[in-house]
Amino acid sequence: MSAIEAVSLSKIYHRSRTQALSDITLTIRRGEIFTLLGRNGAGKTTFLRIAATQLMPTEGKISVLGHDARTEPLLIRQRIAVVPQEGSTIGPLTPWDHIYLSLLARGMARESARERAEKTIKQLELTEYRNQPADSLSGGLKQRVRVAMAVATDADLIFLDEPTLGLDAVSRRRIWGVLNQIQKEGRSILLTTHYIDEAEILSNNVAIIDHGKLVLSGSPAELLRNVKERVRVDVVGSSFSEEELSRYGRVVKLAERFRVLTDDARGKELADEAVKRGSDVALARVSLEDLFVDLVGRDEE
Amino acid sequence: MSGVKQFRAAVIIGYMLSITWLRRNLLSLVWLFATPFSLLFIITVTTGGRSFAVGVVGSLLLVLSTVGTGLAGDATWYRLETKLQDFFVASPVNQIGYLLGIAFAGLFFASPALVVLLPLLVYIGLPMITLPIVLLSLAGVWLFSSAIGYLVSTFTSNLRNGWQSGLLLSVLVGILPPVFYPAEILPQNILMITYAIPTTNAALLIRAAMGTAPTLPHWSPLTGWLLIAVSLAMALAVTSRVARWRQP
Repeated sequence: MSAIEAVSLSKIYHRSRTQALSDITLTIRRGEIFTLLGRNGAGKTTFLRIAATQLMPTEGKISVLGHDARTEPLLIRQRIAVVPQEGSTIGPLTPWDHIYLSLLARGMARESARERAEKTIKQLELTEYRNQPADSLSGGLKQRVRVAMAVATDADLIFLDEPTLGLDAVSRRRIWGVLNQIQKEGRSILLTTHYIDEAEILSNNVAIIDHGKLVLSGSPAELLRNVKERVRVDVVGSSFSEEELSRYGRVVKLAERFRVLTDDARGKELADEAVKRGSDVALARVSLEDLFVDLVGRDEE
Repeated sequence: MSGVKQFRAAVIIGYMLSITWLRRNLLSLVWLFATPFSLLFIITVTTGGRSFAVGVVGSLLLVLSTVGTGLAGDATWYRLETKLQDFFVASPVNQIGYLLGIAFAGLFFASPALVVLLPLLVYIGLPMITLPIVLLSLAGVWLFSSAIGYLVSTFTSNLRNGWQSGLLLSVLVGILPPVFYPAEILPQNILMITYAIPTTNAALLIRAAMGTAPTLPHWSPLTGWLLIAVSLAMALAVTSRVARWRQP
């Protein structure tokens, strides 16, 4: 059974006359981590907010945990939790206040709320800051508190809108660990992020959205099959001209370096040549980021 | 969640957004005391103490209406800045539970002022036996103001407009109607308009309970109660139908 099933979903913001989503058909299975990738304003948050029953769709159908999000929001809301995008913590409330009181407000019994709040505080390494006013915490700690408010719940489906935005690498990995734990408990997660490595590492499935349209969806491995090239070679310095590099494959200029997307044999050949010429070189498999830029970044190029 | 659980959620939200705040930020009390007690001071001094009782009634009503209409700003902040509204929309808490919760927060913020003003009201002549009735009329004012404050917040697209709307509503509900001055000095056509505002009726009902109510055209305590009940029912009905809980 699916966690979320959207069919021909569209959203128009009438006030700004913006078509935020256009004809999106997407299935998110139960128990999986599903990530929406897209540029700013692509429609990721709009999709998430419609599925989380915070926003009405304009057209199309969407069912969440087996209930129609348009007509049965109350049944859905009993079983979901959300970390909204770019929110903030509340002034002098401590991390403990945020987590424990929000669990109580959701209807959880005191003992369960206390246990879950304690567990989440440990999981997200907030113990040291447990009783500090939130307005004295760093931005990253505040974000961890907001994530904790959702992951501490017993919701079957958790929506996280850019949950690791502004976090350092260590904190991001800590949150990834918690999300993996939630998945192991059989719960589902819908995530939006700008961090493509995050999507690649965490997700069972990914959908790339651009200008409100679904461009591609599938597992990270399936998506990578859409890239013709197998490897990428990053060459730093001026020992190669762009024309010279283009003989090895497709060249992308990245600040002070060239990235060449090519096949295994030519990639190795180029890397060897770069070493001979004394250039800094890095050879790696193509990533979701290469695909993403290829799919949605053409306008910029 | 059942009605009882929604009420429990409302009390917890109210506690979360007020008591926990006040415990660590006592300065927040100052702004709420400032306006009503300043007006009480001015009215008392300028009338040589003759309008002290009117001033106490006015201050009490201003405190309760301000914490309600102030939701126009507070609830906008919860929605746009903290995203607390979004957090609770996608949860078992419903709109009424949330509205009641943030209204309770305002009431808890107001509690120190109430602790001063209510005994003062009894001291200057309110019979203890009428206190429950007076509290009921005050509850009507608080709920009415909270409902319209919250309603306005759901249509406000930036925080500055939220605070400004709250101040404007506070003037319209708590200062302009005859709560700090006697209703009987108003021309009849304006008086009739002020009957539509619960603070007018609550002020008149409190004065009636103290035995100082004037004889006014088309007004009696029964009419006053009816007008409070109707305006409250309308405010709650409009809010629950029109306020944007789930965005369109």
